[in-house]
Amino acid sequence: MGESLPRVHGGAQQHSDTLRRPVHTLRVKMVLLGSSGVGKSSLALRFSKDEFRSTSPTVGCAYLTQVVHLSNATLRFEIWDTAGQEKYHSVTPLYYRGAHVALLVYDITQRETFVRAQVWLKELEKQYIPGSTVIWLVGNKGDLAHDRQVPLEEGESLASNKGLYFIETSALSGEQVNELLQSVAHRVFECIGAQQGGLTEWQETPTVDLRHKDSFNLFASCCKVGP
Amino acid sequence: MIRSHCILRTERRGIHVDQSDLLCKKGCGYYGNAAWQGLCSKCWREEYQRVRQKQIQDDWALAEKLQREEEAAYASSHGVQTQSTTPPQPGHTSLGPFSKFEEKKTNEKTRKVTTVKKFFSPSSRTASKKETQEGKTSPSISRHASFDTDQVSKDFVEFLKNLQKPGREIHKQCRAFLVNMSSKKDLGADELSECVQDFYQNLADRQMTHFKGSSESVEQVMDQVEKYIMTRLYKSVFCPETTDDERKDLATQNRIRALHWVTIQMLCVSMDEEIPEVSENVVKAITDIIEMDSKRVPRDKLACITRCSKHIFSAIRITKNEPASADDFLPALIYIVLKANPPRLQSNIQYITRFCNPSRLMTGEDGYYFTNLCCAAAFIEKLDAQSLNLSPEEFERYMSGQASPRCSSAEGEWPHTGQGAGVAATNPVLAQLNHNLEQLSSISSRQEKVMEAAQSLQADLLSWTESVQREVNDILEKYPLTCTVSAIDANNIDNDNLPPPLTPQVFAG
Repeated sequence: MGESLPRVHGGAQQHSDTLRRPVHTLRVKMVLLGSSGVGKSSLALRFSKDEFRSTSPTVGCAYLTQVVHLSNATLRFEIWDTAGQEKYHSVTPLYYRGAHVALLVYDITQRETFVRAQVWLKELEKQYIPGSTVIWLVGNKGDLAHDRQVPLEEGESLASNKGLYFIETSALSGEQVNELLQSVAHRVFECIGAQQGGLTEWQETPTVDLRHKDSFNLFASCCKVGP
Repeated sequence: MIRSHCILRTERRGIHVDQSDLLCKKGCGYYGNAAWQGLCSKCWREEYQRVRQKQIQDDWALAEKLQREEEAAYASSHGVQTQSTTPPQPGHTSLGPFSKFEEKKTNEKTRKVTTVKKFFSPSSRTASKKETQEGKTSPSISRHASFDTDQVSKDFVEFLKNLQKPGREIHKQCRAFLVNMSSKKDLGADELSECVQDFYQNLADRQMTHFKGSSESVEQVMDQVEKYIMTRLYKSVFCPETTDDERKDLATQNRIRALHWVTIQMLCVSMDEEIPEVSENVVKAITDIIEMDSKRVPRDKLACITRCSKHIFSAIRITKNEPASADDFLPALIYIVLKANPPRLQSNIQYITRFCNPSRLMTGEDGYYFTNLCCAAAFIEKLDAQSLNLSPEEFERYMSGQASPRCSSAEGEWPHTGQGAGVAATNPVLAQLNHNLEQLSSISSRQEKVMEAAQSLQADLLSWTESVQREVNDILEKYPLTCTVSAIDANNIDNDNLPPPLTPQVFAG
């Protein structure tokens, strides 16, 4: 499974599968925000590895990609990790320009990270264009529930007050991580994908593309017309 | 000549141009042209012809003069030659062969002269003149006909050839756009950016709707268009005078210079430059970020940033033995920017922002690294004591150059009073240098030893042959070779005592 499907020559089953599916892949920019040490990077690694095939060799986990297949679309997530240290706070607005999804991550065992998440949220709201960004509040380190400092209800109420989506995950055990990515994909496609110019199509560089096997005329392929 | 040129220019720029300035200087009533020195085409041709004729005549005269001189010189040398080299030969008294030889010589000579004449002949003359004429008339072409731009244009045309009809259309539009842009040089940077972005957008839309291009092929075409357009426009739109980019560049450069004392520890960068592989990656990253300034196309500049970032990731990965997160990456990038002090950093960032496809800056891997670079630049501008975990007083002292953190361990003493090792520990390059020096000295001492050993071996060899010689001599002396003839042999000398040899006997019967 993954974005390399069109390039698989042997796998007939997979191939017919892709043909039935709508061909276009939409690109989604997802930004991870949160204090350092809350597990943003681990979460990002989980997103791109666990069960899914990693799309790029991991020299770093600051920029990762992951493809999610929905029933009527394929989304290619570009996951942007941000520096969580407080001293870089002033420059982070640059990261979430044009982001479709923002994940506000906090550590449920550290109250201050929850407070910091609210600061990020305020910052985000300054830049926020309603309907252009889907924001999730993510309480990470669910596996350390015995050291919990932020009750589940507190997170939920903050989310409902601010109109955010909420989930608690564990990047360590992988619990709820895929569920998070799947529901993010659905929400993003529902909220933004339908809009005009909401999500742009993503194209792999056509090196060994089946569609181009017969003719090399760049304009010959007809099945894909942009949004 | 130059002055008149200037005047012409200013007049052309102004709104009001006197009618008489436009007419042919000969007064024939037709319009003149600056390229033809203010003459109309007919008068220019006549004038040019006249000048050319005169030139040709002069050339002929010169050629003839040269020929005469040469002939005179030849005649005198030839006279000497006939006396010395061809003594009267008794067998060949007839003048025949000699005159023939003479004839041959003169033939050769005239041929030589004709080649000289040919050199001055009208045809070659006009050719060279035409060339210079062309150079004069088209300063606009020669001005931006640098090798790079020519190559890019050629590549672009090659690329569009594959697209047939849409390719021709795209080329036409690009040319028109470039002409259009050259008249808009006085616009502000933002307007220029808007023009270019609009052009990108329109061209991409047109390809989508008119030629039914897939978005991927359109992206490919747009990459080529960007390359072509931006290579051509680079000089006029990079760091334009209408903006304060240059001032910002200088400010950033000075700021980074003033921050030279910032250490890797202050930024909490997880890179250990003591590891050779890490320091190698750091050097490569610095090289890449500096190289950015030399590229013209925004996308090439982005590629430099991406390469730089990849090296940083490798460096962190080697140090920490786990993939680098953004928490590690941004400080490391800031450190690299501080070390590199990339030329015209602000101008480059502005240029990329203005003229690169915006979707590439906000999404994608290149976009991510570019955003990080912007963050690094912004951070360096605002950098203060708190962000380096220093007290404001310390920060002030370092900034003013009163103290240096490198020798802070020595409590404000001068570095040379501290131990050399201490200095080396703070500076990986110095450490490496010391290490290399140590190795070199150990190698040289080893070489000395080897040389000594070789010399002693040589001495040994010499003395060995001597000693062997001596021994042999001793033995020879001790046991002199005496030739004693044995008794049997001595007896044998006397043949008479031997019985007579057997003689064959013949038996009859």
